[in-house]
Amino acid sequence: MVDRLTDEYEGVVEIRAMNVENDAEAARLAADFRVQYVPTFVFVGADGATVETLVGAVDEEDLRDALDAIK
Amino acid sequence: MNRTKWIILALGTVLIAGVLIMLGSPGDDGGGLVDNARMRELLEDGVHLVDVRTAAEFEAGHIPGAELVPLNVFEAAAANWDPSEPIALYCATGSRSAEAAALLRGLGFETVYDLGAGIVQWDGEIVGGTAVAAAPTPVATGGPVMYEFYTDW
Repeated sequence: MVDRLTDEYEGVVEIRAMNVENDAEAARLAADFRVQYVPTFVFVGADGATVETLVGAVDEEDLRDALDAIK
Repeated sequence: MNRTKWIILALGTVLIAGVLIMLGSPGDDGGGLVDNARMRELLEDGVHLVDVRTAAEFEAGHIPGAELVPLNVFEAAAANWDPSEPIALYCATGSRSAEAAALLRGLGFETVYDLGAGIVQWDGEIVGGTAVAAAPTPVATGGPVMYEFYTDW
């Protein structure tokens, strides 16, 4: 699902998959965003402000709504 | 006639008592999926509580009293536990704890409880962490970004 959205939103919203278990940068960023659970999806606008955070099993429609809100 | 009434009354009372006992202690026979209310009861009873998420998730916030045993070391740790001792598991959303619960049952553990909805839906106390949306930190980016934080587990 995320792969499909990555292709669809290419050039509009950058989608970064961050493995918090084996990637130090991902773990640091997760701490910055106060990520407490995985999976967590954080949507950051062009101004750097966090617009939305979705936690747990989310459906594609919710992801699309959040992506559309920051594009 | 009077005797028949008493017998029916006695049978009815036994039946109702049986139903109440079953409703009052769900999961006593081998554990199973539990909700927040039942988990609180188990915690009050001092159940051995295990968090099967990663160390980073645990440090960000966990249920008080939980022992951190990530899935990748779970089976080795379980070898040191008493299979007759009730154990309660949780993770973020219930998938990893379900995997761990199945593993324990396969090892012969008699009473394994699993917080079905995970800590995401936990409405009790959490220690060691800050709520997800408490204070999002602005991050400088070149454009809009969606971050997906995940683990392989």
